[in-house]
Amino acid sequence: MKRTAKHVGRGAKRKRTKHRTRRHRLHRPPSPGIGNGGPIDPLTPMTWQMVDRLFWRAGFGPSAQDRARWIGRPVADAVDWMLSTPAGTSGVPGTDGGSALDPTGNDTDLVLSWVDVMVRCTNPFVERLTFFWHRHWANSRESVAPPQLMMTQTELFRTYADFAANPSASFKDLAYAVTIDPSMLRYLTGELNVKGAPNENYARELMELFTLGVVNAAGQPNYSQTDVEQIAKALSGWQINDNNPNAVYSYFTQALWYDGPKLIFGNFGNYTTADVIELVLAQPAHPAFIVGALWGEFIVEPPDAPTLESLIKTYTSSGSQLKPLLKQILTNPAMFASIEEPTMVKPPVVYVVGAMRALGVGITDSTASDYLDATGEQPYFPPNVAGWEGGLSWLNTDTALARFSFISTALGYTEIGDVPGETAAAAYERAYTAVGSPWLAPGTQTALLGFAETAGSSDADKRKERQIALRALMLAGPDAQVM
Amino acid sequence: MTETRRTSEIQALRCADCARSDSLVTDLDPTSRIPIPAEALAGFPDGVPRPPGGHSRRRFLLGSAAGIASIYSAAHLTWESIWDAAAAQAATPAQNIVVCIYLNGGNDGLNAIVPVSSAQYPGYLSQRSNIARVLGPSSGSQVGTTVMPGTGATLAFANPLVSGTGNNGDLKGLDTLYGDGTGDAGSNLAVFPAADYTPANLSHFESRDYWFAGALEELETGWLGRWLDLYGSANNPLQAISIDTSLSKSIRTASAPVCAIADLSTTSFQITNTSVDANQEVATLAAVPADAANQALTRSRAIYGETVQVSQRVSGLGVGQPAPGYPANSDLSSKLQLAATLLGAGLGTRVVTIDWGSFDTHGDEVSSQDPQLSVLSSALAAFKNDLASRGIEQNVVTLVYSEFGRRIMSNDSLGTDHGAGGLVLVSGSSVLGGLAGEHPGVQGDQYGNLIPITDFRTVYSALISEWLGGDPTAILPDGPFPGIQRYDGGTTLIR
Repeated sequence: MKRTAKHVGRGAKRKRTKHRTRRHRLHRPPSPGIGNGGPIDPLTPMTWQMVDRLFWRAGFGPSAQDRARWIGRPVADAVDWMLSTPAGTSGVPGTDGGSALDPTGNDTDLVLSWVDVMVRCTNPFVERLTFFWHRHWANSRESVAPPQLMMTQTELFRTYADFAANPSASFKDLAYAVTIDPSMLRYLTGELNVKGAPNENYARELMELFTLGVVNAAGQPNYSQTDVEQIAKALSGWQINDNNPNAVYSYFTQALWYDGPKLIFGNFGNYTTADVIELVLAQPAHPAFIVGALWGEFIVEPPDAPTLESLIKTYTSSGSQLKPLLKQILTNPAMFASIEEPTMVKPPVVYVVGAMRALGVGITDSTASDYLDATGEQPYFPPNVAGWEGGLSWLNTDTALARFSFISTALGYTEIGDVPGETAAAAYERAYTAVGSPWLAPGTQTALLGFAETAGSSDADKRKERQIALRALMLAGPDAQVM
Repeated sequence: MTETRRTSEIQALRCADCARSDSLVTDLDPTSRIPIPAEALAGFPDGVPRPPGGHSRRRFLLGSAAGIASIYSAAHLTWESIWDAAAAQAATPAQNIVVCIYLNGGNDGLNAIVPVSSAQYPGYLSQRSNIARVLGPSSGSQVGTTVMPGTGATLAFANPLVSGTGNNGDLKGLDTLYGDGTGDAGSNLAVFPAADYTPANLSHFESRDYWFAGALEELETGWLGRWLDLYGSANNPLQAISIDTSLSKSIRTASAPVCAIADLSTTSFQITNTSVDANQEVATLAAVPADAANQALTRSRAIYGETVQVSQRVSGLGVGQPAPGYPANSDLSSKLQLAATLLGAGLGTRVVTIDWGSFDTHGDEVSSQDPQLSVLSSALAAFKNDLASRGIEQNVVTLVYSEFGRRIMSNDSLGTDHGAGGLVLVSGSSVLGGLAGEHPGVQGDQYGNLIPITDFRTVYSALISEWLGGDPTAILPDGPFPGIQRYDGGTTLIR
């Protein structure tokens, strides 16, 4: 329980300078060493809090093994490990009501099958980034069938998150692959976009949501309606063969493609789908758009101008490769800003999976899927093509109750023993260790210790109630919602 | 009435149509979902506290959802504009309100209001001997009847509708609303024994669509939806509320915004397998000061604290707790209590719809219909008292209807098949109580169905012209419809 206090160390004073008012943020020079900007010394040895920060923001929370392995070692080593360790799982595959998961048979199992991989994955960064792509190129099972399309798309995303298998993976290759991915062709009606019947749906979202944004930093539009119409023509002709739901593929039909000149971004050409990806990603607004999206997944405060410039250079000079960009983001000092007090709301998937990993609870029924629905982020069911809004909006009174209730339910899947004569302090320590030694503010620690002291402990039942309640309050209270 | 027809009807006992009849009636997708601020239920907007330090009212309220409203609107409405409109409408003088209770499946009115005259009862008894009510008190498994005052002893309530006759326990029943049936003070229930349309359409779906549309065809809008389009608000979706997860077809509109509210959150923080007061412990943790610059932690602690307050505030409103007189453990009670809470909050609501029950009694009718009649009657009585305690009962009229009545002759499964001439009730102290339409008797038409006496659009017309305000012919196609014909010669529904 004292760990958070013990490890305050180097971040404490800087927090004061970091948090003033948002208005002045962009004009404030970055704090030396651990501010927002400049390369971090790759040999910076990580503290307890830094390991926790990295494994929450880029994973599903730290395990005791993660801490034992990485505390005292350089940030760059841990980030390199995340960016070079293949996707994989350990442990027993999840089940639903005693049966193997049947993801193509029902949608609850479809959701559970992915959550199961997240709970058991050996390199959590791969699943976090895979899920990021699902949120970025959001498709929903509500309008995609058969479900195999969604699963295949997730496999595609994982290819662009597993840098052991695909070290030079680029955003450009991903963008092309998603554009002709059967799930996307179905979700954004690309399969209906044929010569004689143009469909602008995907063309617009490709630019608005996936690569450019509507306007640039100066408020100028990044594309025109003409660009949308002409790009739609260039993208035409892709169809889906789903005769065998387990082997769905898309294919190009020349006769359904607009063969002829298109005016895109002011130039004429007989552009194809591959040309469109080249042209769109070459737009000046693109690098900042995708760099900002990836940065925002891990870091609350936007990058300052020099940092953004440096990240864009890394991205463009590598031919839109993802690994060097992600390495620079994850090792940026801004990752570790306000190190003694977390500043980002855990998205529901991170919260739910993180708690299951901390408690050692696996998938045995629909609980995880039900609560992801109740907390507002059920995989495969984004609210619309823009994905989940996220950020502070994750938390409202409904979702707070659902988050709390999930932990209370999950604790029912764990063994909680009794220690006769256990003191309040010992009960607190036992609960704290059992839930993975999470961050708790000093005031929260005091309050929980106070609860442990006043809670009944005269018999085994009362001591057990105290133990359950301590674990629930540590893992489901306000402090557990941030990372 | 021949034996052959009965047999063919029995074969239709579990027709696909009936099997589907309990599924959702409505299928429109909402255009948005908005949180209902707890403050709005406790007297929005006057009581809205503005928290110290920077939080806008909007953000504060956004977090404090007591429930979620699904909005159906042609125009895009912002969250703020909705509550501004609700507040503005609430500030106007009290307006008249209709609450519609649709009894799903086709309620058998003939076993609810029983023809007990010496001319009719023998025919009633012979055609449905296996489910018939007996004259006078219930005895054993035989369910009795209680004569309705003012009908010249020609009609009687089936006892499940009556206070203190066994099925109702101590609860009050329809007889307390009906009073002496004269329409004088204390006679607040208008009864239409056979309201419908002709020719009968025995399909659940088509018939209920007619009732929802107020027309003998399926329309894109409901009859109350068209009233809202003409006379309602252009920006307050709370003017019409379906107490449901989806919107009733009767309040589908072309342009006016409407909404569906399924429930209010009555849960609080709880820790399973303990008796710990989690709300109190969470409140303590939420009160730990956070640096305002840390928006995430500030938000988390504020929301947790707010959640505790909301759950206390909503439970203070009595939602989800048994209120006096309501039948326990009934979905109808919950829905009516929620309706009373929302109406009591004064959000500018003019129409509430409730879809309840399972009245498609092809078999074992008595054991299925009677408990529901019992709940219906005591819930209606309790609802009236609930509204009175909130000081708004005089502004509320409650309409009860079903998509059709049932065949006069019972089948061999101790049930009845789809028929015509359904029971309609209109309740409220503003209603002229008593028999508001004749009973058609049990001779039936050539198909063995009751002959409708009152066109259902006659009732709708009266509700529009006499209560909600407006021109019925602008809302109901094929009109104007005949006026009300009360047993005493009266022609009005409302006092």
